[in-house]
Amino acid sequence: MSESAPVPPAAGAAGGVPLRARLSLSRAAVQVLADRAGCRLLHIKGEAVDPALGPPRYGSDVDVIADPSRIAALHRTLREHGWRVYSTFRFASSFEHAQTYLHETWGYLDLHRRFPGIGLPDQAAFERLWAARTERETAGIAYRAPSLDAQVVILVLNAVRGGAPVPAVWEGLDGAARRRCADLAVALRAEVAFAAAFGRLAEHRWRREYLLWRVTTQGGPRVAEWWGRVLAQPTFAEAVRVVAQAPLVNTDRLGRRLGRRPTRADVFREFFARAGRAVHEGATMLLRGGKARR
Amino acid sequence: MRLRRAEGVGVVDAGAVVYAATLPDGPILVLAGVSALVWRVAAETGGDGLLDRVAAATHEDAGRIAPHVERFVDDLVDRGLLVRDGE
Repeated sequence: MSESAPVPPAAGAAGGVPLRARLSLSRAAVQVLADRAGCRLLHIKGEAVDPALGPPRYGSDVDVIADPSRIAALHRTLREHGWRVYSTFRFASSFEHAQTYLHETWGYLDLHRRFPGIGLPDQAAFERLWAARTERETAGIAYRAPSLDAQVVILVLNAVRGGAPVPAVWEGLDGAARRRCADLAVALRAEVAFAAAFGRLAEHRWRREYLLWRVTTQGGPRVAEWWGRVLAQPTFAEAVRVVAQAPLVNTDRLGRRLGRRPTRADVFREFFARAGRAVHEGATMLLRGGKARR
Repeated sequence: MRLRRAEGVGVVDAGAVVYAATLPDGPILVLAGVSALVWRVAAETGGDGLLDRVAAATHEDAGRIAPHVERFVDDLVDRGLLVRDGE
């Protein structure tokens, strides 16, 4: 016998399974759970990027934008199926855009309620993207992705947030396609971040999102980032909420650093450590400003 | 009795290896070599000529390998990856 008789298949967690195969199955698993939860999903980045926009890049996790009105239902379903929260919306980034889950078989899931740079209210933005969705399939399971134009906009916004150059796909677009994408960016109220990607952020210095994107693309002290977050909020109530939470401790990150759930004493110590750093950075920023005025 | 892939099974066919999982919980099963051949014939063609094709691929007597193949197919059915029509 040139090959042994069939043996029971290897089973277990994701050990020995190539990342690309695992991500395809993970994406399919997430879609099945979303269907059960009655939550519409738009899959983005990685394998979900249309092949017409370039060779696939699988990344290291699954990214989806979820129907904001059904996120609570999806969260419950994910938890019931072994997904645990790795980092929360509140602490994931300055944009509070995504919550990360981890599953021992499927790996990481970034569940977006919005995409950084898009200023349209979350539900309205999702409906706009959903209306022009495209049909895709992975591992034999059907799922939905944004339109090609929206995928380009998302790739551009993702690049600028990560400090990367404008993605290569942009260079391959003709003038009409670029105009469509730019128009879509405006419709999604993403023109500030979109302009930042092309080095034209200064044209939007009067917009409330300007400072946040300046810090995001050019760096700056944490105080400036906090202030940028405050200014970027669409309502006074949201701004107050960000002000109130700014000095709070990222308990997700602290817990991972300590390897256990932080105690109140841990949080207390971290609060003052962060406050000290923030004060120092604030002083540094003020000194820089003072020098600049001289 | 004809075989088919069960509903809600995710499959990535990477050529030499097939990765299959019952969704949404897994686990991921790794099917290589003859196992992958059995999967493809069972899931994609309903199992037509399964024994003959495995025998040809392995240069073995069909009668000799029949119990092994049958046991393997049963295992895939038990794991929820395949179903027999009528079940």
